[in-house]
Amino acid sequence: MIAMEQGIVEEWLSEFKALPETSIASYAASLKDKSSLVPALYKVIRETQNELLEPVCHQLFEFYRSGDVRLQRFTLQFLPEFIWCYLSVAVNRDLHSSGCIEALLLGIYNLEIVDKDGQSKVLSFSIPSLSKPSMYHEPSTFGSLALTEGALAKHGLTRVVYSGPHPQRETFTAQNRFEVLTVLLLCYNASLSYLSSMSLQSLCRVSSRISICGFPRQNLRRFRGLTNRMPVSSEFLVQLITGIYYALYNGESELACKALDDVLYRAQLELYPEPLLVGNAIKSSLPEGALKSNKEGARCIQVEITPTSSRISRNAVTSMSIRGHRWKRHDALDLTSPEELMEISEVDEGFCSRAPSVASPPVIVISNSSSNVKTPGKSQRRLGGGKASKERESSTESCKDHLSRKQAPRAMSENLELLSIKRLTLTTSQSLPKAGSLSLARTATAVFSKSFEQVSNVFGVNNQSSSANSIATDANRYSACSLQEEKLAYGADRVEHLSPNHQQKQRSPSISIQLSSD
Amino acid sequence: MAAKKLGSRLETEIERCRSEGQWDRIPDLAKQLSAKPIANDDLAELLLGEAKLQQYLKENPIKLGASPHGTKPRLVEVRKHLVAALDRGNLKPEYMQEANLLLAKLNYIEGEYRDALSIYSRVALDDLQLVGIPVYRLSMIAEAYATKGLCLEKVSSLSPANSRHKDEEQEIITCYEKSGDIALLYLQEVEKVKIALSTGMQNRSPKSGPASQEQELGFFLETGLQRAHVIYFKNGNLTRGIGRFREILRAVETRTTQNLRMTIARQLAEILLRGMCEQSYWNPLEDPPHHSPLDDPLRQTSNTKDYALSRRPKVYSGENIFCPQENTEEALLLLLISESMANRDAVLSRIPEHNNDRIISLQSASIVYDLLTIALGRRGQYEMLSECLERAMKFVFEEFHLWYQFALSLMAAGKSARAVRVLKECIRLKPDDPTIPLLAVKLCIGTLHWLEEGERFAKLVIDMGEKASEFRAKGYLAIGLVYSLRATDASLRGVQEEYQRKALGAFQRAQSLSPTDHLAAFYLALQLAVSRQIPEALGYVRQALQLQGDDVHSLHLLALLLSAQKHYHDALNIIEMALGEYPENFILLFTKVKLESICRGPDEALLTCKHMLQIWKSCYNLTNPSDSGRGSSLLDRTVADRRQLNTMTLPDFSDPETGSVHATSIAASRVEQALSEVASSLQSSAPKQGPLHPWMTLAQIWLHAAEVYIGIGKPSEATACTQEAANLFPMSHNVLFMKGQIAELRGNVDEAKRWYEEALSISPTHVKTMQRLGLILHQLGRYSLAEKILRDAVQVNSTAHDVWNCLGEVLQAQGNDDAATECFLTALELEATSPILPFTVIPRTL
Repeated sequence: MIAMEQGIVEEWLSEFKALPETSIASYAASLKDKSSLVPALYKVIRETQNELLEPVCHQLFEFYRSGDVRLQRFTLQFLPEFIWCYLSVAVNRDLHSSGCIEALLLGIYNLEIVDKDGQSKVLSFSIPSLSKPSMYHEPSTFGSLALTEGALAKHGLTRVVYSGPHPQRETFTAQNRFEVLTVLLLCYNASLSYLSSMSLQSLCRVSSRISICGFPRQNLRRFRGLTNRMPVSSEFLVQLITGIYYALYNGESELACKALDDVLYRAQLELYPEPLLVGNAIKSSLPEGALKSNKEGARCIQVEITPTSSRISRNAVTSMSIRGHRWKRHDALDLTSPEELMEISEVDEGFCSRAPSVASPPVIVISNSSSNVKTPGKSQRRLGGGKASKERESSTESCKDHLSRKQAPRAMSENLELLSIKRLTLTTSQSLPKAGSLSLARTATAVFSKSFEQVSNVFGVNNQSSSANSIATDANRYSACSLQEEKLAYGADRVEHLSPNHQQKQRSPSISIQLSSD
Repeated sequence: MAAKKLGSRLETEIERCRSEGQWDRIPDLAKQLSAKPIANDDLAELLLGEAKLQQYLKENPIKLGASPHGTKPRLVEVRKHLVAALDRGNLKPEYMQEANLLLAKLNYIEGEYRDALSIYSRVALDDLQLVGIPVYRLSMIAEAYATKGLCLEKVSSLSPANSRHKDEEQEIITCYEKSGDIALLYLQEVEKVKIALSTGMQNRSPKSGPASQEQELGFFLETGLQRAHVIYFKNGNLTRGIGRFREILRAVETRTTQNLRMTIARQLAEILLRGMCEQSYWNPLEDPPHHSPLDDPLRQTSNTKDYALSRRPKVYSGENIFCPQENTEEALLLLLISESMANRDAVLSRIPEHNNDRIISLQSASIVYDLLTIALGRRGQYEMLSECLERAMKFVFEEFHLWYQFALSLMAAGKSARAVRVLKECIRLKPDDPTIPLLAVKLCIGTLHWLEEGERFAKLVIDMGEKASEFRAKGYLAIGLVYSLRATDASLRGVQEEYQRKALGAFQRAQSLSPTDHLAAFYLALQLAVSRQIPEALGYVRQALQLQGDDVHSLHLLALLLSAQKHYHDALNIIEMALGEYPENFILLFTKVKLESICRGPDEALLTCKHMLQIWKSCYNLTNPSDSGRGSSLLDRTVADRRQLNTMTLPDFSDPETGSVHATSIAASRVEQALSEVASSLQSSAPKQGPLHPWMTLAQIWLHAAEVYIGIGKPSEATACTQEAANLFPMSHNVLFMKGQIAELRGNVDEAKRWYEEALSISPTHVKTMQRLGLILHQLGRYSLAEKILRDAVQVNSTAHDVWNCLGEVLQAQGNDDAATECFLTALELEATSPILPFTVIPRTL
């Protein structure tokens, strides 16, 4: 290492130490002007034997702990390099030489997994649904959504956790290694836009190395050094790919392409479907021409004016245009007028199509009462299908009905789950149940009985016997599970009696469709 | 009166034709206008000029960047009409403006940009009314703004490059933005009129009639709608570009804008995924950040909009509308919107005439699905992804990429059986890719236990030979695992040995092809261990450990091998070392319990059991909704699933005694599973086997504790532990077996016999039960039945030395001394190489 760089790093070390608390903000702002500092720090990190490594790690951790977001990003930019250093040492089981790097990584991890109040952080997001109006769309314009059970279940928003809660870690073990590193990469990816191109380059190189080390491709890439394979986890690879994807479109296309190839190569050899999925998608959606790697750091995100008229000729058969046809084929004998055809397709389209929309022709039903002379059987069928076009009110009503029925079993299953989990923790700790668990059982029964009423009204009991057997045995499990506690056994007992309805309810959407089409 | 009515009807008709762009009808109408009592020749001239200009543009569309058309005879004619209209000055002021705007447009077409600009400044575009004017005029104004923008760009590009001033640039963009806004408004208005018309007409099939005819935007409106964001992105100003995209998308959709919206939604999603991160995101209702890392630092401009219009396009609004709060959320919403459109427009017909259309629609859908994969993949939502991709299946016949993605998403979502079937199709479409059959083998030898099918897939890889390169070794590994598992399943000794031999050969091959793969060395060691070649196995397991020092299974195997050599203390040390790296690994802990009861006595073993319970609790307590206020239990469920996948390495139907999967133990587990089937099916989104893991583990912990208690002769404690396990899996053969053992301990031979028989009725090949039952029958003097059962047991597992021993005793009691001796010798020999737990407790997966 050249003395000058050594000097820069030493100066940086002493400067921050001498800094009073109040001037941290201005210091953080001035950091990006120190152009020679970052490369010098990379040099230090890459030389694991460098005596400055320990103070550097320490100071970077201080940066992270300061809470100033700019200082945190300054530390984060070295993350890929640190991960590489740690992994390459860990593979060689040379555990002591990377102590300070390990400490830094774990320190960042432990800071990242809790929120400001010290509670475990849970990262979640909403899965949008087309059946709920958003600022970009109106559900009625997508009248063609299929009324599947899955679509019903997803009505409204679902909130999903994608990371956390994570336990605090004091040491790295082979078991928690990739869990910790994945969380760290998640943080890194969350601030990608603020990281320097040097960091992105380092991410790409490190990804390549981690992926191919010890595999035949290593020789191809002329990368020497380690020969042992590095174990990886599939989530870790997915996070690497996420970062690479960003690099690909933000000035580092060449390195990123190579890195993507290498990670995919590894994912293939490990037979991990998750990184393969994401990586394949990235590869196949690459623009035709190679991405220009722009030296000025300009991004490759470009858009052009595209013609607004459809490029598809009108007479080609599309998913939309055959909607009506499908019904014609199945029900040709049953149909008397094209109008009826439309009505049935209306049932197929589901409750989303209640608004009169010109956009999707087959959905529209212009009801004409004079021509509606039908046999009683037919009109009954129409009732079964919910006469959405005629009475918007009733259709929304039945839609709500659908939903409440759909939600009931879910709520119930959740409660059951809760109940059984609670039970088990109690068993293990041999303690008495809290009052709360009883009320849970009651909620479950309440939901059960409520939904039972709804379903039995609509569908009678013909299916009950078939499902009852299997359910009864299942409920047996729950009741056996809760034998020890009388109160809980009471709750589970109810479950046993009422569970057949649940099964029925799950089937209800498909039943209603059968009714309308036969 | 009649004339006036006629006149107003004529005017309405003219207005309609102008707003619907039916230029071919204008000359007739203009003629009627001139023939009217109060002739309006100037207006007629204006209409003729406009109609001719529009016709010309329809036939000679303008392309951006192409050189100007210059003066053409047809354009000269247009100019004549327009000049004539303006000449006399008799036109009403609004028609005057119209004529001027048309003239400016003409100037642009002819390349006279400065002339056009001077007209625009004369007309004072910004002062034109937007409220209460006929629909067609909205389009005229929108076009005028677009044209002005185009002219300004041309004029400034004539001046030396790079000197284009920031303000000048902003003026150009503002022109386009205004043009786009007014264009959107225009399209919404047109649509409103059309709907009013079509609902006025009774019983008209929506497909026919002019109402459904798609409006064509034309060059100027298209430019107006899109040029602003194109310039933003060209200049590296992502913030404003994104803002513009959002404005366009928030405007209520019209028929004409559908394609534009689909494109823009996709492009915005691309930008959100490719150019943004969680921290640099701002939601559509927030003001954009003043300084964003997304923007080119050299070209900082203000990030807020700086113009106002008296009328704006209608936007989606409402009380409860969903507004994304995160870049992935917004990208997903946009992609779902584009997906539904792409899916709807996908061309299904496969006749050659539509081939091009089909490819275009497939490509645009495929891009959307790829982006969906990227967005959902980074959030781990594979279940939803597989549902999305399934929707694409109807138009991807013979399209490898989407089939493969579908298969992978099914695999990632834990839908193994379907994944294998889809992978089969992928193999058909791309027979020379070794990864695909390998993925299928992985699934087959995993939860599915479809060994025959797995063997077929593995052979596909091996048959590729050299072509499979690195994957060849993997292919041998795969087939070795299939053989190894089939050997465990086989009930005939000959078959068993045959498979073991084949497995060994395959692993050797894999190891020689890929000497740096620790898995090859490890499985070779495991196979050698199973066939009791302990020293050789030790050699290979050391090799595996050199390649991958902290591989949990290698360490476990090493410990078991040491225990087979009766070095129990060394084995325990290894296990403890391994536990240092994998503190929450239950399989290691189970082995530890066994070793401790031998080396350190039952107290230590019981302590470990207690420790296991604590670990179990802490592992799943995190996911316990103890504070149920925190969120929906869906939230908890996802956490639970993820954690299970991370921390659990138990094989699916693992058995505390024989450990890994065995065909009949699968049947037994099915019984267990059936009992908890609904519990898991309630959680419809979780993989079927997923939620079973924690409970099975817990039951096993209790059973291990029970065993330790039995070992020290404490039946009541053992009963309590067994009961805990029975609460979870009352029909488990392991539970029944344990109950039998307790009964034996208590001296209730009849009860024990009953339990054992019950256990065997659930799992007919449970060797330990067979051995105990044989022993009891032997005690009861029913030698031939005992012999039969023990012989069966030996068939199932020929390496169980205690069974051989029992068999020897039974034979001896029957007076068959020669055979008995042979059995005893075998037992002795096997005992010398017998590990503390069967080697097959180590899971065999690809």
